[in-house]
Formats: sequence, C-alpha cells, structure tokens
Amino acid sequence: MTSLTLRRWRGVKDLLEDAVEHGSRAVQRAHTETAGRPFAVLEAIPLVALPARGVHLVHDAIVTTVYGVLRLVNRAAGIAAGVALDLCEPGTDEGGRLPPLT
Amino acid sequence: MGSRLDSALGVLNGLVGDHLERTGNGLATPMELVRDGAAIPLDSAGLSRALPEATARVALLVHGAMGSESVWRPRRGADPAQRLDYGQLLARDLGYTPLYLRYNSGRAIPDNGADLAATLDRLVGAYPVALEEIAVVAHSMGGLVTRSACQVALTEDHRWLRLVRRAVYLGTPHRGAPLERWGRVLATLLRRVDDPFTRLAADIGDLRSDGVKDLGDADLRHQDRARRRPTVGRRDLPHPIPLPPGIRHYLVAATLSDGQRLAATVGDVLVPVPSATDGLGWAPPPSHVRVFPGVGHFQLARDPGVYAQIKAWLEDTR
Repeated sequence: MTSLTLRRWRGVKDLLEDAVEHGSRAVQRAHTETAGRPFAVLEAIPLVALPARGVHLVHDAIVTTVYGVLRLVNRAAGIAAGVALDLCEPGTDEGGRLPPLT
Repeated sequence: MGSRLDSALGVLNGLVGDHLERTGNGLATPMELVRDGAAIPLDSAGLSRALPEATARVALLVHGAMGSESVWRPRRGADPAQRLDYGQLLARDLGYTPLYLRYNSGRAIPDNGADLAATLDRLVGAYPVALEEIAVVAHSMGGLVTRSACQVALTEDHRWLRLVRRAVYLGTPHRGAPLERWGRVLATLLRRVDDPFTRLAADIGDLRSDGVKDLGDADLRHQDRARRRPTVGRRDLPHPIPLPPGIRHYLVAATLSDGQRLAATVGDVLVPVPSATDGLGWAPPPSHVRVFPGVGHFQLARDPGVYAQIKAWLEDTR
C-alpha cells in the first residue's frame, strides 16, 4: 500500500471522527436547548420549581454522559483505526488489508 | 488517480476543503500541475522528465468548484478523436503544451490565487524551453482563481503574467453567483428563528466551504469579503477588481434556455449569463463573447462546440 493511499485512508478516518465529534456536539446543544424549554416553564411555577430543577439537572447530566460516551467511543475507534493504519505502512505488506484508495 | 475517486475527492474538497486543510487531513488536495493524472515536479529536471515534448506555448486548464482535472474529460464516445479533452486537442491542433491545475476548491479563492501565482512563477523559472505564451482556459471558479492569481502577480510583479496573452473563461461568475448568495440569506433567516433545531439546520448550511462562499460575490482578495450583504438584491454588487490588463479576455456562458429573460436570471443554473459575460468595466467586443444555449454548466468544459470556439480564439494571432 502506498503512502498516498494510507494518507487518504487516514483522511477518511479523521473526517469521520470530526463528523461524529462536531455533529454530536451540535445535536447535543439542540437537544439540551429543546429540553430546557418545558423545564424553564415548570421551573417558573413555584409549586413544582424545585423538583423540576432536580429533574432538569438529572436530564442534562444523562444527556451529557450519553453524548460524551459517544464521543469517547468515537475517539477510541479512531485511535484503533490509526494503529491499524500504522501497521499497513509501506514495507509491512502489499497484501491489501484495505481496498486501494487510489 | 482513478477517475471516480478523483471526482469524488474534487467534490469533497469543494464542500469541506477548507476544513480538510485546516485540520491537516490527508484528503485535502494540494495545488499541483498534473499531466496524465500525475503531479509534475516544478524543478528543471522534473519538468524536463514530465514534459519531453514541451513547446514554447503552454495551455493552462483550471477546473472549477468541486471539480478536478477530470472535468475536462469528455464522455466516452465511439470515436477515439472525441475522447480527447481540450488540452489534448489544443496540443494536437495548435501545438500547445497542456498543463492541468489541480487544487482544493474549498479553500478561499484568494488563497488558491496566491498559490497559483507562486506555482506559475516556479513553472516559468524551471520550464525546459523558452516560454513564449501561457493561454489560460478556466472553468467556473477556475476563472476567479486565475484572476486572483493575476492580482497577486500584478502586486508582486511576477514575470509569468507578461506571458499570459489570452484567457478564456467558461461559465466564470465574474460578478458572483446568486445561488450562493441565496444560500447565505437562507442560513441568516434560519438563524433568526428562535428554535434550536432550526439553528442546527443553519449551522449545517454554514458548513459551505470558504471557496464556495467566495463565489457569492466573486471575492478575489480577502478584503473583498467586507462587501458581503446578508440580503440578496436584484443587482450584483459592483466588483472592485477589473479583468487584468494586457490580456485578451474571452467570455463564455451557457444557458439551459433560449429565452433572454430566463438566460439572464437562470443561465446554466449555477451562473447567470450577465455574470459570466461581464467585462467588469471593460466592454468586451461581441467577438470576445459567446453564449451557448442548451449547454449545462459542466458541459462547458467538454463540449465540441465550445472547443471549436476556444480554438478559433487561440489560433487568432492578430
């Protein structure tokens, strides 16, 4: 496999990582803002304000955790793919571990 | 490079090439002069090796947004003569040495212009024979990149500019591309709606590359972006940079419709006829302008009728 091919495969990997990273942050932001609207209404009613604030905090914590784990898995997969690509560096083989991107 | 991969990378670079470059991504296309799909080293030995048949006249073919040098490749026909691209035809008919520019069309036009100026400076310095002429054939955004490079060459007094005698612009939006301006307005409107998911849609819309955004008002220099408006007027903004002096400019437009009004507003869908045929202060003689009805924007880069016109212009040595 040529270095150009490997550079491109690394590019595909990096682009997918970037897409998941930035995409998940943008969707998380929209998700949190959307969910915040009904919570804001409930938190303005004195009778339910306190429990609503508690549920809101728990909700946001869960959302942050879920999207955070998604990004963590994405980065871990990226590192694993990077190591696999390192093993394909020229000189290691021409055996076609990956289809040619040339 | 495989043709399909080549085209796919061209589109990807046009869409997010600025991001690819900023992040050092391996999919970013570097600016190169290419022949037969291979980059030409810009040193004397490399050029001599790559161009054993180099002539004193070079035809530089510059592709447009989301393109690559494969944009010049004709659709496969039964006749082998019909499979020749404009560069190969100019070599056969007029003795030009064709060189194809490959670049990341998602980068800002001024950045590509500066790199093209530097590339041509190196080419002229290392070209294997005494160079008499560089003829430019530029498609779409390629014309703006060329004009931006000329602007740099004028400022920095590059000698290659004196060799450029003729430039043919195929569907180049000299006054800008209204479609991109509409995209800009849509993103602005979406951002004004107080809804997170609408803002998300606006963010996705704003992912358009710097190169595509520069097409809106044909920004050739970074400072030209200050002219941008968040609205779309019926008239294009006045352009601050005239066509470079000392060059014979030839303007080609395409229209999908024969009707004058539709041609003026729609053109080839991507570029209206007035934008493609505007001399920007210089009134082009009728013989320097040609409009091709029934031809699409991308077909301008591989149409036998368009080639016949290019050939007629370039063989006219008056």
